[in-house]
Amino acid sequence: MRKFLSHYGVIFVLVLLCAYYSFATLNQQHPADANTGRKLASFVIQQMPNANVLIAVRDSDDDRVFAEAIRQSLGGASIQPVGIVAGEPRDIVVELRRMGDAGTKLDAIVTHHASAQWTVLGEARLKELANEYPSLANVQVLKPSSYTWPTFLTRGNLLSIGNQVAVTAIIAIAMTMVIITAGIDLSVGSLMALSGVLAAWTIHRIVGEGDPSMMTLTAACFTAILLSAVIGLLTGVMVTAFDIPAFIVTLAVMRIARGLAYKVADGPSPIAIESEAFHSLSAGNLLGIPNPVLLMVALYVLAYILMSHTALGRYIYAVGGNPEAARLSGVPVKRVLLFVYAICGALAGLGGVMEASLFSVGNPNSGVGYELQIIAAVVVGGTSLMGGKGKVIGTLIGALILAVISNGMYLTKVDSYTQMIVFGTLILIAVLLDQLKTRRWKP
Amino acid sequence: MIQNQSRWMWMALLVAALGCSRGSGVDVAVSVNDDNDATTPTAAREGTSGVTSESKGIIGFSALTLTNPFFTIIADHLTEEGAKHGYEVIVDDANRDVKSQSEQIDTYITRGAAAIVINPCDRLSIGPAIKKANDAGIPVFTSDLQCVAEDVKITGHVGTDNFGGGKLAGEAMIEALGEAGGKVLVLHFEQAQSCVLRVGGFKEVIDAYNTEREEEKIEVVAELDGGGLRDEGFKATSAAIQSDPDITGIFAINDPSALGAYAALEQAGKADQVKIVAFDGQIDGKQAIKDGKIYADPIQFPDRMGRITMQNIVKYLNGEDFEQITLIPTELYRKADADKDPELN
Repeated sequence: MRKFLSHYGVIFVLVLLCAYYSFATLNQQHPADANTGRKLASFVIQQMPNANVLIAVRDSDDDRVFAEAIRQSLGGASIQPVGIVAGEPRDIVVELRRMGDAGTKLDAIVTHHASAQWTVLGEARLKELANEYPSLANVQVLKPSSYTWPTFLTRGNLLSIGNQVAVTAIIAIAMTMVIITAGIDLSVGSLMALSGVLAAWTIHRIVGEGDPSMMTLTAACFTAILLSAVIGLLTGVMVTAFDIPAFIVTLAVMRIARGLAYKVADGPSPIAIESEAFHSLSAGNLLGIPNPVLLMVALYVLAYILMSHTALGRYIYAVGGNPEAARLSGVPVKRVLLFVYAICGALAGLGGVMEASLFSVGNPNSGVGYELQIIAAVVVGGTSLMGGKGKVIGTLIGALILAVISNGMYLTKVDSYTQMIVFGTLILIAVLLDQLKTRRWKP
Repeated sequence: MIQNQSRWMWMALLVAALGCSRGSGVDVAVSVNDDNDATTPTAAREGTSGVTSESKGIIGFSALTLTNPFFTIIADHLTEEGAKHGYEVIVDDANRDVKSQSEQIDTYITRGAAAIVINPCDRLSIGPAIKKANDAGIPVFTSDLQCVAEDVKITGHVGTDNFGGGKLAGEAMIEALGEAGGKVLVLHFEQAQSCVLRVGGFKEVIDAYNTEREEEKIEVVAELDGGGLRDEGFKATSAAIQSDPDITGIFAINDPSALGAYAALEQAGKADQVKIVAFDGQIDGKQAIKDGKIYADPIQFPDRMGRITMQNIVKYLNGEDFEQITLIPTELYRKADADKDPELN
């Protein structure tokens, strides 16, 4: 039990955090989907069958679905709404004035919580209009009822956590491997920027301002990722062939890659990528699950198999545990190290391409400070900085813990200065736990 | 071990899935907003945690950085003016990072904000995040910095008339250098569109001045990147006085880089021979004007920026017209103004 706790305590922490933030963000939720729209319509049909109804929503696709569901349901009971507005508060005023001028009697405005919050649909403003136009004297505002549910646990919020964590978590896979070999890689943030800028630059090179083809996009992304892998490999060569500490090598590569990114972008301004297809790589989804999350899960599965079920995985642990012993027992120490740094470069490159896709630009300023976030995720996930111990799944949990805390603090309105203190403290606690664990169970 | 681990993972997923599957299957409530109490409102407001029932909604403000007082003043006045109209303003620090800002915008969307205000961290790559707010039907207002991304809708912008401010800075420089003219260094920050405008206005005035005269012109000898920061301004100026030891004027696009420039001049023993004109009018800058370190600042009004932005939001939500783009003019602030300023000591 003790051992179990020591290994998987992080999962409890994650579950506890989720529970805490679910409780702390328990709040009124305001549904506005098609189903809710139909219910609202049937209420109107029952309660006010001969009413003149105006449907008012915002100018958004989701709102249009809601409005359309109401219109159809009302139509089923042969009620024709006297108007539908999908727009800004001002558009509602324009519509109301039009009705007032025409003398159209209005009984109810059907809307949802968000628009009902607009002061234009508030008591004071409606009274003002009623005084101006007699036909608007008796207007009710109808909206779907709300229910209590944690904002933290809404679909939108969970997806947004997933999206936020994906890039960090993906690079953290390789960082875990590097740290298990008792190394470190500080260059990942800069490599991300370089890779993103390279992808954007390549696309521009090939098609100029036009819309790039799928081939072009794939070629550009692979070039960027491959080049990042090569830089990672070179880092590995410096570490293995010349025995320079990884900290120093990657610190240097971090500056070099950042400088290269600015060079390629020809200054600090991002290179725009005008391509829907490229944007959908990060912004799209499959069956409602965002692409970055799917990619993250797939890579974690691969990494899990690699680390737990292959010889290479065992080698990586062996190199970190005791490189001399590993070498004597026939582990190709140098090749293993080259592999982990190359993978780290490649995944940083992939992360850079994903960021570029998400923001539709190759930004030479992106990824600043990412290396620290990623290392924090690895450390919180229970991987020892001394090498030889750690789990990729732990890293995923670590990344999730950091993302959940960040998201939860936003939702509970914790100010940004406090957030910095919390994150710093968290890393200290994680390292402290690692130390205690080593002392108690591995004397 | 692995068995146990995956069991926990499944439970976590289950909890998550439960969260996703709620959301429909809700009864209808009616909120009556007129005085005719035909239908009783249901328990729409019961069980609310946190949000007071008085609040008309929340408004999210993602500031460029809260380590610069300029933006905290905007935040304070947004919050104050918001409270006056019954809105709760949530302030977040984007820390100059587009990704943080995008996450903050996501959170505002999740929380169902009535409006979103940002100082865009990047005028291009913040586009997709704004697009998301557009798609959710939530209006986005920019303050101070503008967004130029395509296909996004910015409902309103309030900023400084930077070009006009740059012209004022140019006039201040002419005044400071007097009839003698001289060589001028510009401490730029080209990344920011606002600074490009400031330097543009500055040079227009200087060029017009030069065309009127044959000699004793004012010559811009170098434009260096001062990063808008004290240490960068220091470095750039130290280098510039090596290559151009006889410069007589410096125009810095903000107060911090101007103060960095002053430190460099002081170190080189040239503080008396060079006149500095800066921009902003933050408390540090004003104090430096009083102490004679900076000649003058076109000052900006972040307090008005915050207030006008909130007034625009209120007008928007009330369905009224408002100026879509408001540029607040700057005013020149010299030592005489600083001597009368009660804020300074």
